Amino acid sequence: MQATAPVCAPKDFKSDLKPIWCPGCGDYGVVQAIYRALAAVGRLPHEIAFISGIGCSSRIPGYTTAYGFNSVHGRALPIAQGIKMANPDLLVLAAGGDGDGFSIGGGHLPHAIRRNPDITYIVMDNQIYGLTKGQLSPTSPKGLHTVTSGYGSLENPVNPLMYVLSYGAPFVAQGTPADLPGLAEMIEEAIRYPGFAFVNVQSPCVTYGEEEQQIKAHKASMKRLSELGHDPSELIRALDVSQAYGTELHTGVVYRNPAPPPTFEALVRARQQELAPRALPPERILDLFLQE
Amino acid sequence: MSTTRGIDFAHLSLQDALDLAVLIEEEARERYEEFAEQMEVHHTPEAARFFRFMSGNEEKHRAELAARREELFGDAPAAVTRAMLFDVEAPEYDEARVFMSAREALRAALRSEEKAHAFFVEALPRLEDGAVRALFEELRDEEVEHQRLVKVELSKLPPDPGFEPDAFADEPVAH
Repeated sequence: MQATAPVCAPKDFKSDLKPIWCPGCGDYGVVQAIYRALAAVGRLPHEIAFISGIGCSSRIPGYTTAYGFNSVHGRALPIAQGIKMANPDLLVLAAGGDGDGFSIGGGHLPHAIRRNPDITYIVMDNQIYGLTKGQLSPTSPKGLHTVTSGYGSLENPVNPLMYVLSYGAPFVAQGTPADLPGLAEMIEEAIRYPGFAFVNVQSPCVTYGEEEQQIKAHKASMKRLSELGHDPSELIRALDVSQAYGTELHTGVVYRNPAPPPTFEALVRARQQELAPRALPPERILDLFLQE
Repeated sequence: MSTTRGIDFAHLSLQDALDLAVLIEEEARERYEEFAEQMEVHHTPEAARFFRFMSGNEEKHRAELAARREELFGDAPAAVTRAMLFDVEAPEYDEARVFMSAREALRAALRSEEKAHAFFVEALPRLEDGAVRALFEELRDEEVEHQRLVKVELSKLPPDPGFEPDAFADEPVAH
């Protein structure tokens, strides 16, 4: 085995802005994993656009040296898709929390998946609304006591893995900052995958999260899919594994479509080329417009 | 709990072992630096000072080991990478707490030194190379010395005020 020197080191992706997450937050490990993954991929910071929504985890683009946009609640994916369409050469990352991605932004996720842009979407799933001080989130477990569920939640949680697999996501993985090297590798693989890649990171909220969802508990309970003999090329197996979300912490690549479908950018380029011979010259378009 | 992946301890060469030791110190240095930044951001200067001091110590150890490595093996490419180890001597991410007292910070460092010691103790029976074994024994003993030094510092501190720092975590400290 020979280590190769990347173009940028992980530290080159760390911005001067200091994270203000609570000490002990899982997101500190996630951002380190992202630095490593970006260094491994070998793209320069100015070739990367990192888009987020709103929430604790959505601060993450600011902590990198990539171009970043801490945008509007739940709208990381539409903005990321627009950027990818405008400049397909950019490496585009989107990120946010479970509330941002599966609640207010939940409507955007299926449409991003079915278009299949070459975007990596990292959700820092802490099963709580942390920034607003501990309300139920879409992935909060049933029975959870929070400030908005004083007697315990009556709702079943969203299962993010089943959700994205059901809509046809071609790459789905799950990680935890309790295994930072594994998380970094998974994010790197997601970035390299040609199409929409979804990474669910169970990133503990140290302030409002449950004890069994903290890093120490993750270290003790996580099960690496690679060590369980999981074959990520089989969708049925991936769906089977995903059903354990909330009861077991499986880490690794859950599903990787072995025949990546064409990306939205590729389809658009093909359509543009197809229509190019029939396109009117710009001055003719102006004439037609003026005649109207 | 520390983890390593893909390291064949039985066939570890002295160069690999030195590279591993350098990376362990590098990881610890970076983590203490991160913790120091977190404490500074959260207006906890005493813990920040201590973590920065620890980061400096880890850098000193890293530099010493790197110099030995260079003397013995020059710039021969390394086969061991950071992806192969995690949390060996570095305090775990959830050791950091908002409003950590200096005592809490030292206790976190002590747990990390104990963890590093356990790593070398557990690795030793698997080593086959005599020189690697000697290095690991040396590193194991250094961890004992580090624990002693942290304990001395702990003994100098006044007792904790008697409240749990986490009791304050419900305040909007982060945002």
